[in-house]
Amino acid sequence: MPKLTIDGRDVEVAPGTNLIEAARLVGVEIPYFCYHPYLSIVGQCRICMVEIEGQPRLAIACATPASDGMVVRSATSERVKEAREAVMEFLLANHPLDCPVCDQAGECLLQDHSMSEQRARFSTHMTETRRTFPGLERRLLGPHIVQNQNRCIHCSRCIRFTQEISETSQLTYKARGNSAYIDTFDGRPFDDPFSGCAADVCPVGALTLREFRFRKRAWKLRSTPSICPGCSIGCNVWIDHHERIVYRFTPRENPQINATWLCDYGRFLAESLNTHGPHRPESREPGRAPSPDETIRAVALELKAARTLRVVASANLSNEELYLARELFTGHLRGEIVVPVWPGEPRRMKNGSRKWLTSTDAHPNAAGARRLGLEVVDEEGLARFLYGAADLTVILDPFAHPFLATPEALQLLRVGPTLLFTNRDHAIGEFARWVLATASLACNEGTFVAGSGVVQRFQAAFTPPPGALPLWRLLALLARDTGLARVPLATPRDIFEHMARSENSFSGLAWDELGGLDTTSYREHQHVG
Amino acid sequence: MEPVLLRARGIEGSRTLASYRSRGGYDGLRRALELGPEEVTKEVINSELRGRGGAGFPTGRKWTFVPKDHPGPKYLVCNADESEPGTFKDREIIEYDPHLVLEGVAIAAYAIGAHTAYIYIRGEFVRWARILEEAIAEARREGLLGPDVLGSGYALDVWVHRGAGAYICGEETALLESLEGKRGFPRLKPPFPAVVGAFGKPTVVNNVETLACLPSILTRGAAWFASIGRPRNTGPKLFCVSGHVQRPGVYELPLGVTFRDIIYEHCGGIRGGRTLKAFFPGGSSAPVLTAAEVDVKADFDACAEAGTMLGSGGVIVLDDTVDMVEAAANLAHFYAHESCGQCTPCREGSDWTVDILERILAGHGRPEDPETILRICRFASQGMTICPLGDAFALPISSLLKKFRSEFDERIAAATPAPQKKYPVLPWAGPRPGFGR
Repeated sequence: MPKLTIDGRDVEVAPGTNLIEAARLVGVEIPYFCYHPYLSIVGQCRICMVEIEGQPRLAIACATPASDGMVVRSATSERVKEAREAVMEFLLANHPLDCPVCDQAGECLLQDHSMSEQRARFSTHMTETRRTFPGLERRLLGPHIVQNQNRCIHCSRCIRFTQEISETSQLTYKARGNSAYIDTFDGRPFDDPFSGCAADVCPVGALTLREFRFRKRAWKLRSTPSICPGCSIGCNVWIDHHERIVYRFTPRENPQINATWLCDYGRFLAESLNTHGPHRPESREPGRAPSPDETIRAVALELKAARTLRVVASANLSNEELYLARELFTGHLRGEIVVPVWPGEPRRMKNGSRKWLTSTDAHPNAAGARRLGLEVVDEEGLARFLYGAADLTVILDPFAHPFLATPEALQLLRVGPTLLFTNRDHAIGEFARWVLATASLACNEGTFVAGSGVVQRFQAAFTPPPGALPLWRLLALLARDTGLARVPLATPRDIFEHMARSENSFSGLAWDELGGLDTTSYREHQHVG
Repeated sequence: MEPVLLRARGIEGSRTLASYRSRGGYDGLRRALELGPEEVTKEVINSELRGRGGAGFPTGRKWTFVPKDHPGPKYLVCNADESEPGTFKDREIIEYDPHLVLEGVAIAAYAIGAHTAYIYIRGEFVRWARILEEAIAEARREGLLGPDVLGSGYALDVWVHRGAGAYICGEETALLESLEGKRGFPRLKPPFPAVVGAFGKPTVVNNVETLACLPSILTRGAAWFASIGRPRNTGPKLFCVSGHVQRPGVYELPLGVTFRDIIYEHCGGIRGGRTLKAFFPGGSSAPVLTAAEVDVKADFDACAEAGTMLGSGGVIVLDDTVDMVEAAANLAHFYAHESCGQCTPCREGSDWTVDILERILAGHGRPEDPETILRICRFASQGMTICPLGDAFALPISSLLKKFRSEFDERIAAATPAPQKKYPVLPWAGPRPGFGR
């Protein structure tokens, strides 16, 4: 374990750690543009220069492994300051001064560094005409990526991403020297399944996301840690939202699962979090529209009255919701419950040690349903389940399986009374006796079990819009009204802790220590992922 | 001095194997195969041969960096990407004596234990690539290369790889990238090519001239080689003299000869009876020397003492008609065009320097321009970039600026302000009332 001193602070690091990471451990910020913790090191940008005692030349911190007894000076060295100032001057010589209209402003490494570290009296010596790339200022590189080559600082992060992580090698440099520009390898569209990450890794506004561009300034966004609902891999994401509108997902660092990547499919699911179902509970019963409380009471009465009850749960629900549903419908009431699982399209993700993870199904929590001992069925099993007769059918999530939207399923469901919980319009809602509005994942809180078996927590980004409630809350209200007293119902935390005590498969887990919630990660502030 | 590297120049049909053999060809290789790799390396270390490509690193020492017990292949690469401006020595060797190069390649490959050698030749050298191909075919037919070299059981294949004409591919790691079929971007060092080189295997990259010295070291002995030149700067060296001299060309002279001898004695002095103003001692990447420094010895250490470098031995002579501002602009243009685009200081700095120098040439220089250029050069050199191209661009230009500052200042003193750029006037806008007044 090499011990070294960085800016007068002693640090002991694992062998092979580079100076940027070592400095990070003691809170010394070494700036960088081309370095990325999950990409190979090229040492191109030269901003991470540090002074190492005993070496005549400045060294680049990204490519210098920490060694025992090293004395490193970064912010405390006048030479380093001067060199970094010069590198910034070089970088800004041809970088357009369009921060006010650049969509990256606020999360731009170049902007951050020039604001924070440059001495106020410093100004550029550059008086020549800027180099520009006519025709490459606003170019659609692929379905999701817009390129502005004028802003590019030639860090090659996007190129290395497509070579090393997504393995499509679609991006490359063309031309040479100061005229070099980023292009797709043979001019074909940049249709990489991970293309959004190219905009993520871009330290400046050269590559931006077509879907997010100009929708919201970066500094207005609030980020809430969550889990991507797209498949069983369980990538960690930030929900970036402002005033109760979700604008985008950005990857949240987790070396075991998604490093700092996110596939395009998952990334653009963010938009689906903005629908919070029909905004008031509806009833097909004649007479006046009932108030929410009345609806819950009426539904509770109906649930209690039903002699046979069948419940279609979903692998999109959190462990708390599934547990509560199990306790309520099969433990307390006389019901049967199944969890349909749809294989969906295969998805994959590369983790921090560059291993591919593959999805088993299209749900974030099928593993959790299995852990809770719920009956997991495929399309055929679901159809068989719906063929059976029951006094009342409860659909906890109509998007649990595409089969539920087929004419066959609708025909089967039309036969008896249906209670539907949904956050979006669905064909079942047109004939269901009760429709209760649930809130989307952005308003929900709970845990998912990823395909790899790790239990990960997600948080609520904002409170649900009026009329909608998270499913766990609705189930808790029903449990209260039907007289289920065993389970504490106040928060998902209470439910989880009860579950951890009573379920063997969740024993030993503590709510506060669950994986996927390391929100204090320093790297996020450098917009690495 | 009797020629060693250029002894075939002027002999009819010197390229053929028969002619080469009549001059004692392939005796060095035969001797090497008798001695064994360790002894060959020791002999080369004793000869104090230093790399002729530019850096002057001791060749034998470079070989010893190759891990001995490395499993799997090792490679020898012969750098024939002669792209330094003012350098044309490797071409001369290949033109008259391709087998000398091949023998050197075989000796070096044998010494490091490589069974595959590549000759990376610059793309423009079509004719010389063909000459090498023919020589390789001839040597293979005669059993001098191939699965059983001279019946010793040692196998060696030599391939010629043509580059695509980039200056940067003369840098050894960029050369390896290009050899692997990638973009010619220099690699971050360490690891050095001797450990991780071509295709991730230990590789030694040697210049054509370096390799061409090997056969005579082995036939005539290290002591003979070390007796030529000065201590630590031994052996014959090819000097490519170009520019304003009476007889430009390639001269083979012992290291340690003065530039005065090269320019005035061997090349017949300055053309047209003019006077010497300055000269680049080792290609355009070496800082310039003035006429007052003409007595500097032409070897690695003496040049380093004089604040420049021997480089590839390309002596570019400038007489008193040369405008140093134009010379600097010309140089800067070359390096801006050849910058690979990886490192910020070189990529941005070289282009910026071109802009400034071209503005000065256009008669719009400003008093602060020389200081700006010096600042750019300072922060583009001395380890600010991955490869030495940053130095190659910054050092000669800053030396021109420092040594001939008065010429720049005169230009700038006579300059007029650059005309105000005309911005298009919006025809529909007109003067806007109440805004920006």
